[in-house]
Amino acid sequence: MRLPWNKKDSDLDREVAYHLQSLADAFEREGLSKDEAMLRARREFGGVEQTKEKCRDERRWRVLPALVQDLSFGARMLRKTPGVTVAAVLSLALGIGATTAILSLVDAVLWRTLGVPHAEQLTEILWQSKGRPEGLFQGSSGSMFRSGPLDVADFFSRSTFDALRSRTGGRTEIAGHLHADDVSTSYSGMTSVAKLRPVSGNFFTMLGLQPTAGRLLMPTDDDPRATLTVVVSHVFWRRNLRGESGAVGRTLRINNRAYVIAGVAPEGFGGISVGDSTDLYTTIEHAPIMLQPDSWERKAAADPKSWFIQLLGRRAPGVVNEALTAELETLFQSTWVAQPKHPETAPSIRLQDASGGIGSLRREFGNPLILLFTLVGCVLLIACANIANLMLARADTRRKEVALRVSLGCSRSRLIRQFFTESAMLAVAGGLLSIFVAYATANFAVSLMPSNLRLVFEIDGRMILATLAVTAFTAMAFGLYPAWHATRVDAAPALKEGSGSVGGVKHTWVAPGKILVLAQVALGVLLVAAGVAFNAHLRQIVTRDTGFERTRLLMFDLRPGESGYHEARLGQFYFQLEQRLRNVAGVEAVGLARIRPMLGGGYWDDIQLPGRAKGIPTAVNFVTAGYLGALGVSILEGRGITESDVRTRSNVAVVSEDVAKVIGRSPLGLVVRMEDKPIEIVGVASRARYSRLTEQPNVIYVPNALTQDATTVLLRTATAPTQVLPGVRAAVAELDPNLPIVKAVTMQEQIATTLRRERLFAWLCGAFGVLALLLCMIGLYGVMSYATVRRTQEIGIRMALGASPGNVLRHVVREGLGVALAGCALGLPIAWWAAQKYVDYKRLGMQPLDPAILIWATVALAVSALVAVLGPAFRAASADPMKALRAE
Amino acid sequence: MESKKSDLLQGTLDLLILKTLASGALHGYAIAQRILITSRETLDVQQGSLYPALHRLERKKLVEAEWRESENGRMAKFYSLTKEGQKQLAAELDRWKVYSRAIGWVLEA
Repeated sequence: MRLPWNKKDSDLDREVAYHLQSLADAFEREGLSKDEAMLRARREFGGVEQTKEKCRDERRWRVLPALVQDLSFGARMLRKTPGVTVAAVLSLALGIGATTAILSLVDAVLWRTLGVPHAEQLTEILWQSKGRPEGLFQGSSGSMFRSGPLDVADFFSRSTFDALRSRTGGRTEIAGHLHADDVSTSYSGMTSVAKLRPVSGNFFTMLGLQPTAGRLLMPTDDDPRATLTVVVSHVFWRRNLRGESGAVGRTLRINNRAYVIAGVAPEGFGGISVGDSTDLYTTIEHAPIMLQPDSWERKAAADPKSWFIQLLGRRAPGVVNEALTAELETLFQSTWVAQPKHPETAPSIRLQDASGGIGSLRREFGNPLILLFTLVGCVLLIACANIANLMLARADTRRKEVALRVSLGCSRSRLIRQFFTESAMLAVAGGLLSIFVAYATANFAVSLMPSNLRLVFEIDGRMILATLAVTAFTAMAFGLYPAWHATRVDAAPALKEGSGSVGGVKHTWVAPGKILVLAQVALGVLLVAAGVAFNAHLRQIVTRDTGFERTRLLMFDLRPGESGYHEARLGQFYFQLEQRLRNVAGVEAVGLARIRPMLGGGYWDDIQLPGRAKGIPTAVNFVTAGYLGALGVSILEGRGITESDVRTRSNVAVVSEDVAKVIGRSPLGLVVRMEDKPIEIVGVASRARYSRLTEQPNVIYVPNALTQDATTVLLRTATAPTQVLPGVRAAVAELDPNLPIVKAVTMQEQIATTLRRERLFAWLCGAFGVLALLLCMIGLYGVMSYATVRRTQEIGIRMALGASPGNVLRHVVREGLGVALAGCALGLPIAWWAAQKYVDYKRLGMQPLDPAILIWATVALAVSALVAVLGPAFRAASADPMKALRAE
Repeated sequence: MESKKSDLLQGTLDLLILKTLASGALHGYAIAQRILITSRETLDVQQGSLYPALHRLERKKLVEAEWRESENGRMAKFYSLTKEGQKQLAAELDRWKVYSRAIGWVLEA
């Protein structure tokens, strides 16, 4: 192809030729001979080629043609070996894509701050104590977790909140909120389920938010007599209110009560915790749960011994945490209506940075995500090593070409640029493809995260930037060394070698390519071991005994309280419900419970035994007579809970066999105290899981008083659980056609939701392990096939001198396996050390790494290494010696 | 490169070329001859160094080039001033006059 700049070149030649000719003509006229004249002209003119080069330098498109040359040359080189190129680009795309996806996950969960101004001023107000502060409060709603030796909790009484809020003005602004809960909504005929978070009136002013439309909640909305108002999230406004600006001021029905839509929260505000899917905000006084006469929260609001409000504060600029903690602590203690039974358990205030949001997600996913990020980084490194190997091999085959170019005056920087362009092309291709991989991986990861999280994974500027950074990094990592290596050529020997002589080919055991493969295998051991370990962990959990048969259980929630049932009518309703459900075809047993089994959380209390100073921490459930039978728990001693226990609300209970173990004798007939009420233990039940497969708490079953405004219904079915659902719906509709069935799932599904973190971890780690194994195989295959091709002549000579194909085969396999095993030997202690040092087993709830898993990972790598080297080995062994000898 | 009768000050070659082209289109050889003659053989421009300068001026769009038949019947590349080049020449001349006068004052003081 004749390019514009080539035409210029011939122009320049003609122009200079004309000048020389004119000069020579002039000298000829002065009497010189033709040849002498031309010689003189050349001397007069100066260096002809230098001048031409300078002219070219003066040209405008000096950089671009070189770049286009590099690119087209690079593309040609890559096209020459399509298989290798595709493998390289694919492994890069997988490596970069997975890294970007995990990076964005880490960003969404750990790094992103809340969408409010000056998020760094936000602080979550918690309390911590050494052990549960018994006696300080009677009932609680909120979360409590362990942090080292301390119990940390996030709930306070209404009176504490009022005191803290009103007496710290100027130094901090404190807002209260309750846990977000599902409500049913209806807007001009459109119904949906949404999450509603009750907050104090100053919530939005504390956050410093401006509405998209209408107004946000204000302290005046705290007045119970004010009109019921609701603020909706931007997402809800767009999805459920069709983004109409006229929606403000109209009515949204929440749990069959009319609320006026006051306004729409700003678009960037995604709630106060990571993945917060809260759509509706009302004041605590106006929350549906507070308007139901029988709700626990309504009673709790007036009781200083019921702690149920969570606090979020904004420090005024210049206020330090220490001073604020001390001040809040004094106020906190002054609001206690009782003292803790054991003074050493007295709680103190703990301030926790809330710039990234409140809640457990960071605690729960923080360490695993960082671990995942490290692992995926290792995968990327392995992929990079493959590309580096490819480039090294390619550089080696082009030694002669490079030597020729160097001896013709090509500068080294120009050569490095050429090689670098090639690897950059690979990186860019891989980077572009990786965006799809990143999307797929992120979606996959999100699908494994709890479904109630609203995590944002848009390919935004930050994500693109991250991909670019990773791509640039990989281009540097795998491009620079081979480029440098390739151009470090001593021209003379390189030009001589190869043309029929064997001596020129250096064969070494410590070639750079082999060192790369060795490092790959070492990292591979780590990744495969991680994949196996976390999958083994998941398997071990899933197969744990629940204590009951789990395939024929169905459960759902009913909330008659929201439909106006209360007191006597509520109890009546529950009795009728149980009876009717028992008659549905396919239902074997029915039970009602206040706490849904295997929910992932529950209700814990300490039961006090006579003669024991410390209470026994116990999980509590309030159940009807049929519950234990429906769940499949058998009574080992004494009796179960009877219908009359439930009707008369008698103070009896059944405990799990674990309680008997703690006490050390049969608990039958014992009278224990719970929430200061005496309860007689009348039976011992077999052990059964309560909230999740990873815990086995002591459980106490107490007769359900049937005064709760909502209940979980548990059904044991004769067939597949979902088959009875239509019959169940009909039975409930017969009782009350307007009562919706909420959260109907099988026990298997319910258990699965509590294992999302473990599954996310196991599946991603497993995928990374498989990927690492594949990449290592590709790397080893590439290096060995390149090495055998380079030594074709040597092998030919060996065979001509009498080596059998078997000898050659063994030789190649031994060499390849040697590299792999050396990598394993290096990787094994590294993996062991990393597993000891960097994995927080306690937090992950798993057993420390079993050495057997490491051995298995090593074996897996060794076997795949063998598979990878067999190809090149067989090819070398089956070579025709005559052809091999002639090969260049 | 060895130096000849008188080295040119940096940047003055561009000015000389522009000035020489002001009277009409010329090819490279003619420009060199013209500079030699008009400077009364004091300034002998290194013939080769003319071309990078011409290409530079062409890139800056101060001159344009065209292949034409020359006085000896062969094809030669003729350079001529563009409008831009004429403006540049006028500006450079003014600057040069100020500059040389100033140098003169300093040297004669």
